[in-house]
Amino acid sequence: MDKETIDRVDQIIAEKGKSADQVIPVLQALQSEFNYLSGDVLKRVCQNTDITPARIQGVSTFYSRFRHKPVGKHIIKVCIGTACHVKGAGRIFEVFKRTLNIPEQEDTDADGLFTVEEVACLGCCAIAPVVQIDQVIYGLVESGKVADILDDFLSKENTTPDKEIRTLSEKGLPQGEIRIGLDSCCVAGGNLKVKEELDKVLQKSKINVAVKQVGCVGVCNQVPMMEIHKPGEDTVYYTRIKIHEVREIVQRHFKSVKLLDRVQNRFHHSVERYVFRDIPESARPFLADEVDSPIYEYNKGQVNIATEYLGKMMPSDIDEYKRFEGFEALKDCLTGRTPDEIIDELEVSGLRGRGGAGFPAAKKWRMVNRAASKTKYVICNGDEGDPGAFMDRMLLESFPFRVLEGMIIAAYAVGAGEGIFYIRSEYPLSVKRIREAIARCEQEGLLGENILGTSFSFKVKVFEGAGAFVCGEETALIASLEGRRGVPLMRPPYPAEKGLWNQPTLINNTETLSLVPWIMRNGAGRFNKIGTASSPGTKVFALAGKINRGGLIEVPMGITIRKIVEEIGGGIPNGKRFKAVLIGGPSGGCIPASMADTPIDYEALSGAGAMMGSGGLVVLDETDCMVDIARYFLAFTRDESCGKCTFCRIGTRRMLDLLDKISSGKGRPEDLDTLEQLAVNVKKSSLCGLGQTAPNPVLTTLRYFREEYEAHINGVCPAGKCKDLITYEITSDCIGCTNCVQRCPADAIISRPYQRHEIDPQKCIRCDVCKQICPENAVIIR
Amino acid sequence: MIRLKIDDNEISVAEGTSVLMAARSLGIEIPTMCYHEGCNNQASCQVCLVKDKNTGRLFPSCEVKAVEGMDIVTGDQEVKAARKAAIELLLSDHVGDCEAPCRVACPAFMNIPVMNRLIAKGDFQGAIRIIKKEIAMPLVLGYICTAPCEKACHRKQVDSPVSICLLKRMVAREDINRSNPFKPDMKANSGKRIAVIGAGPAGLSCAYHLLSEGHCCVLFEKDGKAGGTLRGVHGDNLPEEILDKEIALIESYGAEICLNRRVTNEILDAEIKNNFDAVVLATGHEKEGSFSLQLSNSRKAGAVMVEPGVFACGSVVRPQKMAVKVMAQGKEVAHMVYQYLSGNQPTKRERPFNSRFGRLFTEEIVAYLQETGSDKQEVLTGCSEEFSLEEAMAEAQRCMHCDCRKPDSCKLRLYADEYQADRKKFQFGERKTITKYFQHQQVVFEPAKCIKCGLCLSITSQNGEPTGLSYSGRGFNVQVTVPFHQSLQEALKHSAKKCVEVCPTGALSFKEEG
Repeated sequence: MDKETIDRVDQIIAEKGKSADQVIPVLQALQSEFNYLSGDVLKRVCQNTDITPARIQGVSTFYSRFRHKPVGKHIIKVCIGTACHVKGAGRIFEVFKRTLNIPEQEDTDADGLFTVEEVACLGCCAIAPVVQIDQVIYGLVESGKVADILDDFLSKENTTPDKEIRTLSEKGLPQGEIRIGLDSCCVAGGNLKVKEELDKVLQKSKINVAVKQVGCVGVCNQVPMMEIHKPGEDTVYYTRIKIHEVREIVQRHFKSVKLLDRVQNRFHHSVERYVFRDIPESARPFLADEVDSPIYEYNKGQVNIATEYLGKMMPSDIDEYKRFEGFEALKDCLTGRTPDEIIDELEVSGLRGRGGAGFPAAKKWRMVNRAASKTKYVICNGDEGDPGAFMDRMLLESFPFRVLEGMIIAAYAVGAGEGIFYIRSEYPLSVKRIREAIARCEQEGLLGENILGTSFSFKVKVFEGAGAFVCGEETALIASLEGRRGVPLMRPPYPAEKGLWNQPTLINNTETLSLVPWIMRNGAGRFNKIGTASSPGTKVFALAGKINRGGLIEVPMGITIRKIVEEIGGGIPNGKRFKAVLIGGPSGGCIPASMADTPIDYEALSGAGAMMGSGGLVVLDETDCMVDIARYFLAFTRDESCGKCTFCRIGTRRMLDLLDKISSGKGRPEDLDTLEQLAVNVKKSSLCGLGQTAPNPVLTTLRYFREEYEAHINGVCPAGKCKDLITYEITSDCIGCTNCVQRCPADAIISRPYQRHEIDPQKCIRCDVCKQICPENAVIIR
Repeated sequence: MIRLKIDDNEISVAEGTSVLMAARSLGIEIPTMCYHEGCNNQASCQVCLVKDKNTGRLFPSCEVKAVEGMDIVTGDQEVKAARKAAIELLLSDHVGDCEAPCRVACPAFMNIPVMNRLIAKGDFQGAIRIIKKEIAMPLVLGYICTAPCEKACHRKQVDSPVSICLLKRMVAREDINRSNPFKPDMKANSGKRIAVIGAGPAGLSCAYHLLSEGHCCVLFEKDGKAGGTLRGVHGDNLPEEILDKEIALIESYGAEICLNRRVTNEILDAEIKNNFDAVVLATGHEKEGSFSLQLSNSRKAGAVMVEPGVFACGSVVRPQKMAVKVMAQGKEVAHMVYQYLSGNQPTKRERPFNSRFGRLFTEEIVAYLQETGSDKQEVLTGCSEEFSLEEAMAEAQRCMHCDCRKPDSCKLRLYADEYQADRKKFQFGERKTITKYFQHQQVVFEPAKCIKCGLCLSITSQNGEPTGLSYSGRGFNVQVTVPFHQSLQEALKHSAKKCVEVCPTGALSFKEEG
């Protein structure tokens, strides 16, 4: 190690502190300095701090964000969140690796130019599949476009100063998507003519835009209409379009570089929801509250409490927040109510923790309030790990003051002097917004000593997670805050009695805290009138997958799945059949279309074998394979298990082994019983929530789609998804253009110009590239 | 005080007492692996699961504290099934052989690797003791055994198997040529007399083991010489003087052999049954059975009790070609006789649970060769050549110590046996690769046997080891490692002994046994 490196290490230690519990912040700082954690650097840390070699080894290898090997110049992150997975993210990852000639066990190419990694969720589910290269995000990626993306990235390598949402023009990746309804009433209303004109315009201008025909858009009186979806932009609706307006609309959206620049920084908080904006003069504009508009449909079933004033406030503007009733609840609580009165109000509201299990919030608050200790903590759990959910991120980014207000009220009610935001490291913007909000509140006297002139004092800091889903479990989260491996502890004692540093600690989910100000401001009575008797209030969901209108929604508890899918989400695209919803992510389960009238509340979902979870809601259509879905979630929990208890550590792995066996067609009928028994044992005997819920996707798919498992055992994947059970073939339509040969990352097609090509099934990796790029649609799946 | 019920026993315990401790104070045994008194380890293995009737929930008794009103069940069907599943999951990720493959393949279950190690050290008297614990006539077998052990030997994958059979012959030869050859530790005279009909390999073997149990033993042989098929079908490769010598040795232990005495059904009923406490039929394969015994439904066993006090073994039950198998059955029947005479129902002894993994991966061979003498030997085969003492020692050093160093103290094996675990239940996919670390002076570390309980981590940390041990990775891939790739010597400076003693499996063991 050179002197410069040693000095830099020592400097970081000086900044972060020498105590053992600082190990995670120290490692984070070292990694952002040196790109990875070398053995020499870690040894230096042990020499100069109280951090032992055993601790640094244990912690630095536990959290997935820490790297022990140097990385390439650029990092390609392929999102494998649920929404991306169901749209083919798995093969995109593989094609990147093949294209860059990266061996199976490695993650970086020979030149050290690119490192390819999978990430759990980039939270861009609405434009899935998503790939991020350094700061550039590519949306709507297909495996056939991987080479174009790499070319595009490298060609602009030196001209990209800042974050950018990029699409490929001319050829390659579409710049966006135009959705156009083409069911019978739309056609009758003139949409077909609009579609013809659109095709003409696109062909002439050589603009590459995906045109998607959707089913009924539910606003038949507004047709002809189009929806323009672009990465980084809010969706725009055009209704009652006249033929001559088509060209203008297309050019407006798909040529303007300026527009792209303008939206760059809004990317993170806008892609997932629909806001009505940017209407060209010639087309008839909508208003968001205009009855019968799709926007209206989308919003009609929603009730905004956690997301109150959605789209109306600048997230970091405290004055604007105040104008929209911000901090009124806080003032009222601190100056007009006792902690007990606040907790009583909360109890009447019936609010249940939104983290997943639905524990009554007031009960938790009261436990901490009653605990006899001078030092108490409040923690906001923003370690949202469900791959396919981004509620917490959106709340932290769009409503930082609201979450903070909820936390301060909670702290006052339980008697805590210190608060911590535990935020997933994949959410840099959330961290930034919360830090800004804390600073603003300190300036305004809303944090610090004697808040609002009262005797109540409270300070808040932010802790960035280091990549571990299990840290969403509260005892693991505490372990992480204390600088240990994120391994859960047996409860009791509950954190409310013995939490952070053995002191009483209130841990609430982000959404739970963001509901508190509204409840205090409007009264428990108004809150508990929304929703159902056992699950009052609203729930925020990230609606994604095979759905016409995906996004972040806040709905009253008790709403049926059908209403969410069909009315708010506008149904399934491309005329496909609705098959099931995945609810609660890897802890939840699937609910089949036949049970779409199940109301959303804690008990009803548990009864169906699923779980509320944190709020991921992924819609599946007939082309999705349930065995593949179960396998997808199991692979996630297997990777995220902390590894402590036998049932979770080995049990999840063995369940996955069985699913691999079944999905490759090698399963036997008795394997289904073994799988089910094992799943029940893991559920029953695991030590923490992760293991206890990890079998849910398996158990529910077995319960509702057992015949699909049986089909796999008989060697058939009915949805045509499972790689080992399908083959790609080239039909006689092949004109021998050799496009597929050039693009095949596995060299599975031999070049035979002007003749019909053939795919070597042994070499073929089922990446779908040839099928996507074939100009004659001559590639088929069998 | 906290009041609770455990298996319907009411008990009061001090606050903070674990359910495990509360149960133990009632004399209720609950299996544990990751728990050790005085270690602040967190529950992980889950073989100590119990159930609270009130909630129906299962939890690890070692960590959960007794709570007022609990109604604990420690051993119902559900609890036992869950424990068994935990054990089977652990076994699916535990790669190692409890017993070496050679021993498993040996019909007599002779402890071959221990024999090899004693020979390698030049302790031939120790070696004959190990051999004769299981085999009555090792010198004879040294000439005629088909040596299934050598076919199973892992060393075969490196070059050629250890010449186990010749080593055994060499040890037996050395022994028999001594002025005072090995004599088993005879139990005190039981006063019981047993008749063995037939002095072939089965009868002689049975007699040897009956004698060591302290019984008096009379063999009735129809021919003029004892030995049966050992003089017949096996005779070609077996010098007669060798057979005579080893029969004489058995006689010297007290066996009485009555030659030229053909025992018929009538003689059996009229004379023998009345005069002996038990009878063993070991007459070998006869085309027209001279005994009207109901053997048909026990043909699989090889050693049976056909009626109270009358036993049969060897080819009379089912024709056998392998002498070692017949001798093993003679030993087995001797044990059944012993059980019968002690007033118990005679049952066949089950071999203890055995974890096994099959063939070595190429990279594992390197790990295994670390334990062998480096010189590759010229391999001797057949019965034409004999090992000298030095050659035998060198040959024995080729043994790779495939057997576990903790065959009797490994808790995983113990509970796998107790819960009749199926080691293959969850064995899907690829197994882990075995590595062995020998850098420490006293300790061997075999990570593939580790169950990640963390006891060694808490011991090193409690003992203030400056380097110590740590977990690395997470989930299924979690491993116990020495930080910064240092050696085990560095990690276990003053807590090695404690770590080995507390480790519930053979992951950490002493280099030298005993």
